[in-house]
Amino acid sequence: MSTTHPPRGPLTRSPSERLLAGVCGGLAEHLRVPVIAVRVTMLALALAGGAGVMLYLWLWGTVPLADAASPVAPMRRALTREAQTPSVAPPRVGQGSAAARSAAPRGTALFGTAAQSAAAPSTAAPGAAASGAAGSDAGGPGRAAPGTAPLSEAAHPSAVHPPAAHPSGMQANPVHSGARTPAAAAAEPAALPAAEPAALPAAEPSARTAVAGGAGGGNRAAAAAAAAAVAPAPTREPHGPTSGADGDDAARPRTRWPVAELLLGACLLLVGVLLVVQRLGVELRLSVILPGLAVLVGVGLTWWQIADRNRPDTNSVPRVLGALALVAVGILMFFVTAEDPNVWTVIAAALAALAGVALAIAPWLLRLNRELIAERAGREREAERAEIAAHLHDSVLQTLALIQQRSAPGSEVARLARGQERELREWLFRAADGGSAAPRETALEELRAHAATLENAHAVRFETVGVGAEVQVPEPIVAAAREAMLNAAQHAGGEVTVYAEVTPDRVSIDITDRGPGLDPERLPEGRMGVRESILGRMSRAGGTAKIVPGPGGNGTSVRLELPREPKHDAASDAGTGATL
Amino acid sequence: MSENSVGTEGEGPQAAAGSEHEAGAAAPIRVVIVDDHQIFRTGLRAELGPEIDVVGEAATVDEAVATIPGLAPDVVLLDVHLPGGSGGGGAEVLQRLAGVAGSTRFLALSVSDAADDVVSVIRAGARGYLTKTASGAEVTAAALRVRGGDAVFSPRLAGFVLDAFGTGLGETAAADDELDRLTAREQEVMRMIARGYAYKEVAAELFLSVKTVETHVSSVLRKLQLSNRHELTAWALSKRLL
Repeated sequence: MSTTHPPRGPLTRSPSERLLAGVCGGLAEHLRVPVIAVRVTMLALALAGGAGVMLYLWLWGTVPLADAASPVAPMRRALTREAQTPSVAPPRVGQGSAAARSAAPRGTALFGTAAQSAAAPSTAAPGAAASGAAGSDAGGPGRAAPGTAPLSEAAHPSAVHPPAAHPSGMQANPVHSGARTPAAAAAEPAALPAAEPAALPAAEPSARTAVAGGAGGGNRAAAAAAAAAVAPAPTREPHGPTSGADGDDAARPRTRWPVAELLLGACLLLVGVLLVVQRLGVELRLSVILPGLAVLVGVGLTWWQIADRNRPDTNSVPRVLGALALVAVGILMFFVTAEDPNVWTVIAAALAALAGVALAIAPWLLRLNRELIAERAGREREAERAEIAAHLHDSVLQTLALIQQRSAPGSEVARLARGQERELREWLFRAADGGSAAPRETALEELRAHAATLENAHAVRFETVGVGAEVQVPEPIVAAAREAMLNAAQHAGGEVTVYAEVTPDRVSIDITDRGPGLDPERLPEGRMGVRESILGRMSRAGGTAKIVPGPGGNGTSVRLELPREPKHDAASDAGTGATL
Repeated sequence: MSENSVGTEGEGPQAAAGSEHEAGAAAPIRVVIVDDHQIFRTGLRAELGPEIDVVGEAATVDEAVATIPGLAPDVVLLDVHLPGGSGGGGAEVLQRLAGVAGSTRFLALSVSDAADDVVSVIRAGARGYLTKTASGAEVTAAALRVRGGDAVFSPRLAGFVLDAFGTGLGETAAADDELDRLTAREQEVMRMIARGYAYKEVAAELFLSVKTVETHVSSVLRKLQLSNRHELTAWALSKRLL
């Protein structure tokens, strides 16, 4: 097995060296043997009872295309959603969580090309699996597949920790190639409940013990393996393979089983074995085996898509329909291909098909029902909340307004009432789901937030007016405006107006108060706030700051202006009569 | 309530400083208060200055429509959010009284200063707008001003106007009678009001007479009410006003 080799290039399909799908090219590159040799071997294997064809198909399905963008859609995606051409030049998976996460929605595989750097070791695992398969060990593909498990589903954080994944990939393979099948088969059903809180690392021990238990009583056969493979658990978080590795499971909290790869591998393997067996002269009843397979796969697909619900972006309809068709066809085939058909067979077939479809669809219905209930509850909460909000708006807000109206401006009572009103409003207008308020981003929101903070601490009332200011503006002018607002709150108090105007080519913010006034020529030396935080900051940012007398000659008006990079091509003759 | 109007109520200093009533004490202004909250009506009544004579109150749209023509007050202090009628609130009162109100003028009051409240009621014909946190003196001053035929603009409303007329995009009217844009002078006046300047202070700052400033403001109000400006619609849509 290739596990003894030092890490080398990941097994990928070669986009350049390809006749069919680049499998041979990629394999040759990975094994460092001439392409032609691989092709000949493959051909020879293909002639030997079709094993080569199987192997080729299996590799085709499971091995990603080299340099394909966010790597290649792994098999599970390829099976379950519309064809999706691998995009070009995606961020390399191994480079960081951000890249990995961005690749996630595309549902791509992990061993992307990435692997050049740190990811290289991890991607060697599929290589190991592949070489195991190449060894023509009949059990090879089926058993090797689990080795790729932690690696697939690149989208996952696991991809972010390729080095950590490496040892497990390398070691798990040999370890499991012997004991794997029964243990995993038993472990997976057991992992089903444990996988529910899969996101929690806490699930790991239970999964691991499940594996151990499975190993002890591992008397399940390949059929069980197939059943387990299609069970929902795999898409969650079984930690089977990690048990073989030394405690690196913490490094990749969420790994997933490549259900589709397992499934496909198992099927191909089964078919290959059957072919060989048949060639050896054993009588096989295809009329029973084929329908049986169809039913198994169909049911598996439906259950699998139920488990896959945490991925709402995937369209589950084709897969459900496909699964149902499989089930129906399989069941019908049982009867139609039976010898001596009569009316009872047909009726029985119809009933069985219905029952089969019902069985297959049941989990979907259950899930639908659950979601419906959740949604209804959500709507009820929503309505209740809206009612409370309306009531508060009609009663408490009015009272708070009255209190402010009747109390002396700037008094403690007015400030309290205003603070309460603000809090209440924030709550009322918060996102309907009860989440936190939208992040403050725009200039206007930033200024309002700052005004609110200052109003809580000082006897001041800010009126914040924005014109076109619901956009993001450069930080320096906002910072300078904050400082000016703080000054106004500390030294002037009372009514302070903040006027922010954003045009395509400039940002201006004016802070006007009616306080004692501030003479910029006679600033005390210690007034760092004005000199540095306002004037200095603005000039450093390439803008201007003026301090002029406020309305009626008293008070202070701080006028900040900053040119904006002309993002739009023009349309801004700025003849707006700038008053600054 | 499209805006998270987080603590931004309050008539600006403009109305507070609007103590420049023109010889207001001659005859008290006859006022009707339309608000569905008894507590607010009572409170406001107690707060209003001696220049104001509250001749009636109404709590719903229908009451207001029934009461106001008979009383023929000078000024109606109109809550934006009112129950009754077909749910249109203060704007509905304005629409239903459009033909019969005579010389009665309307000053809108609202607990919120969200754009939809403000603009819908102004578009329906109110001469001004105050938030309910305005003090009794501010309301009194504003009522005097409205009675005199002028408009009452808060800094917030001035900001809305500048926004709605595309000032930020550099649009300026070439002629005074152009309804869809503000002239450069009107924009300057609006900007000063948005900065919290009272009319008199605007006049001093821009070297105009107070009368001229009032003319500009009234002209802006007229444009706001009459304009079919495409962008105004778009803007209103973007604020979920329509």
